[in-house]
Amino acid sequence: MAEEKGLSTNDLRAISDRILRMSVADHCRVNINSGWRGYTRVATNRITSAGGRDNTAITITSIFGNKIASVNTNRFDDDELELAVRRSEEMARLAPDNPEYIEELGPQNFSSVSAYYESTGSLEPQTRAEAAAIAIQQAATADQIAASYMDVRAGTSAVATSNGLFGSHSSTGVAYTLTSRSPDGLQSGWAGDEGNDWNNIETLRVANDAVRKCRDWNKTALEPGEYTAILEPTAVGMLMFRMMNAFNQRTADEGRSYFSNPAGGNRIGEILFDEKVTLYSDPSYPDAETAPFTNSGLPVNPKVWVNAGKLENLSRSRYWADQQNQEAIAGPSNFIMQGGDSSVEEMIASTERGVLLTRFWYIRGLNPRIVSYTGLTRDGTFLIENGRITRPVTNFRFNQSLVSMLQNVEMLGPSVRVAASENSSVSTPIVVPALKVNGFNLSSVSDAI
Amino acid sequence: MRKLPLPINHLASLTADGRPAALPRQFSRRDFLKIAGAGSAAGLLLTNAKPVAAQSLTSTERELLLHAIDSAMAAGADYADGRVIRTQFEAIGTREQTITQVQNTDSFGINVRALVGGSWGFSATRDLDRESIANMAREAVAIASANNSVAPTETILAPVDVYPDENWVTPHSIDPFTVSLEEKAALLLNANAEALRENNIRFVSSSVLSVKEERLVATSEGSLINQTLFRINPSMSITAISDDGTDFQSRSAVVEPAGRGYEYILGLDLVGNAPKWAEEAAMKLNAVAVEPGKWDLILHPSNLWLTIHESIGHPTELDRAYGYEANYAGTSFMHPPEEVLGNLQLGPEFMQFVGNRTEAGGCATIGWDDEGVPAESWPIIEDGIFVDYQTTREQAAWIEDLTGVTRSHGCAYGQNWESMPFQRMPNVSLMPGEENLSEDDVIAATERGIMVEGRGSYSIDQQRYNIQFAGQVFWEIRNGRKYQMLRDVAYVGRTPEFWNALDVIGGDSTYFLGASFGDAKGQPIQVNAVSHGCPISLFRDIDIINTA
Repeated sequence: MAEEKGLSTNDLRAISDRILRMSVADHCRVNINSGWRGYTRVATNRITSAGGRDNTAITITSIFGNKIASVNTNRFDDDELELAVRRSEEMARLAPDNPEYIEELGPQNFSSVSAYYESTGSLEPQTRAEAAAIAIQQAATADQIAASYMDVRAGTSAVATSNGLFGSHSSTGVAYTLTSRSPDGLQSGWAGDEGNDWNNIETLRVANDAVRKCRDWNKTALEPGEYTAILEPTAVGMLMFRMMNAFNQRTADEGRSYFSNPAGGNRIGEILFDEKVTLYSDPSYPDAETAPFTNSGLPVNPKVWVNAGKLENLSRSRYWADQQNQEAIAGPSNFIMQGGDSSVEEMIASTERGVLLTRFWYIRGLNPRIVSYTGLTRDGTFLIENGRITRPVTNFRFNQSLVSMLQNVEMLGPSVRVAASENSSVSTPIVVPALKVNGFNLSSVSDAI
Repeated sequence: MRKLPLPINHLASLTADGRPAALPRQFSRRDFLKIAGAGSAAGLLLTNAKPVAAQSLTSTERELLLHAIDSAMAAGADYADGRVIRTQFEAIGTREQTITQVQNTDSFGINVRALVGGSWGFSATRDLDRESIANMAREAVAIASANNSVAPTETILAPVDVYPDENWVTPHSIDPFTVSLEEKAALLLNANAEALRENNIRFVSSSVLSVKEERLVATSEGSLINQTLFRINPSMSITAISDDGTDFQSRSAVVEPAGRGYEYILGLDLVGNAPKWAEEAAMKLNAVAVEPGKWDLILHPSNLWLTIHESIGHPTELDRAYGYEANYAGTSFMHPPEEVLGNLQLGPEFMQFVGNRTEAGGCATIGWDDEGVPAESWPIIEDGIFVDYQTTREQAAWIEDLTGVTRSHGCAYGQNWESMPFQRMPNVSLMPGEENLSEDDVIAATERGIMVEGRGSYSIDQQRYNIQFAGQVFWEIRNGRKYQMLRDVAYVGRTPEFWNALDVIGGDSTYFLGASFGDAKGQPIQVNAVSHGCPISLFRDIDIINTA
């Protein structure tokens, strides 16, 4: 087996120990991120950029009383490390009190998560070039123009505190996406895969899907309005990637969120969504694994946020938990929506009139009280009439409350890991089904293709 | 082409001839102790706050960089350039009367970009020894060679003069990294306290992010350029909660980032202005819901700059127009170049947009770009007609026959040592009107309209047609006067029609520089900092929606 990318657990521990020994602060915390990233990018049916880099960055956080400051550096010869430790201490001494500071955690029990896949960690530039060639070939054969991206990461991370906590973790991630366009710029199709394990990335299927969407999609007019919408998993994932941030107890308790109770406190225990909606996080979820600890060393455990429509949990920082006399809960490190057993084909067949959406673009928050967002459809938007796709239609801007969307879920498909970040880089793992929802608000036409 | 005026939001920290002023510091140690509480701070503040020795780039780094270039050429590159870059960030964040963040980031490394045939390869390392650097250079060449064999292609680099020994530093009078954290904290906490005095104000956050980039660039053609860039990003957000707890409204984006030193922050008078911004947050709670429909729209430059960024800045990036960003940032409606250059009427005849890397205080203002091309200024939209794109050396040749411009406009930038340079947005600014109208003149020219201040939620499609932009503060204008505050306003439209609806623009006395630290593009994604200057502007008959 090839050597794993990133510093080994022994090295991570040795560097952490060295820093903690140098520290003269009341408390000290060390975070290390070490790893490799390689990428290959295609546009106009040629490789336009490709590169690689190795880096290790260390964050040293020093605390005197309630005064806290941190220094991040990628230089760690002994002298430079000493300099960084002293600088963080000097800054911490100068920092005014932070009354919300809670003393560093001691040793914790972290669940064991295996997130590093050799298939990804040992992926060579040659393999990336071959994947790029598949995109170019499939597009060129169909007289289309490929713009693809492959992002590969492999590395390790660690957290250590002067109270004896140490955790380390290794992980890999890979994303492969393709936008294929017609030479006249009137058609565009997209597909993509993301995972921790390169063996689960289906480059040929991705390429064929993007090419097919491009071939099938040549816009015709459709009026804006509220539609029954079938969202493919990527489209759902891009919205849930935003939704996950709403599950925060402090903003709810402070009256700044949908989960705020007008009378004070929050709405945990209330049924707020359709009963088919269950949302949770699990750092061990296969091919969507994450570190079992946060940057501060708080354990990340499986957590259900919404169970059959009922709000079960909100995350709370150690400070907020302390204020409420509750246990701290780490925020979602990945986000999973429980699927159903409807296929996209069945959703289409059950729809009298509606739209099928591939993915979104430029999603921006509008109103946190209803968790509403705006954004645009992109790279494959179709009209459904009487149970079948009848024609491709223009792109649209949507203005949509995600709460109301999750209150109007009709059907769910099986859950899959999706490439949910708009820039198609390896990102927070999102695992979601295709959804059929009612009353999705397509507010205006977009001429963009 | 006229020269752009000095921005009004910078004047307080500039001398009459536009140089950074030596402003008096506003806070003494005693002020700080009052705020922080004498007990908690006593005894710990005796150390000098100056940063630990800032290592600047020396002859050692020059030699290592030349070694990288030599190694790439020896390995078979047809051309190579490289950079040693050290980027330092310092962030201090506050919330109400507490410090939420004190962080310093320091990242240092070297990269090389090699051209083999027509293909690029890039590699970067944090290991600054001769052997690691030679390996890095060979890897860049190997990647370029592999790409050239899979998909051979042609690349022509536009000519550039050789600059064998140049230096450039962002004009500033106070290096932000020499200002103590306690002084920055005192300023922010004091401003927060002023905001919290107003009715209904429950939350205030504020921060200052300082950036120092030391960049040494070398090319195999013989240029060697050393630059130090300063940028600074102040921010403040004030939240009011209604008496019955059912509503909250925030006033954010009250000040702009700048390519300046700390004197810029002093000139903003955060403490003096905080009550006004807080009052606006509270007023938003009782503002009148906007009636959707057609309205005349006055965009204050604090809002208009981001509209320029999204609808003029992005679509005039040449790599977008050619499809290089199709898989992420998108393409451009200003396409194909042979049809739109010199033909596309994007606005009225008085509308002049200038691309530049020279504007005083601009976040994209530099001496030379990442390919050793000197900073310049050029027309992008002239008399309302689209005339030129933003380019790098590689891109200049693509449209040379259409524009007659043979050289790069100097738009190459990589965000740090790890990142391959590519085309990034320069400052793109709207020239003020020659009639020299004031803000009051523009308001007076409006019978029934809405004036928008501050950037809000912004969203635009991947070809830059469909806009939906919001703001911070909305004023209904009736019969040439501010009438009442509105809420939940967003303006929507299609870019070409929107700019052609521009009817009146203000003069030099309204020219203001807005900016973003977060201009994102590329895969892997890179961020760029960029400024946009503009006067107050009036657009006729724009569609307004209610976002509540």
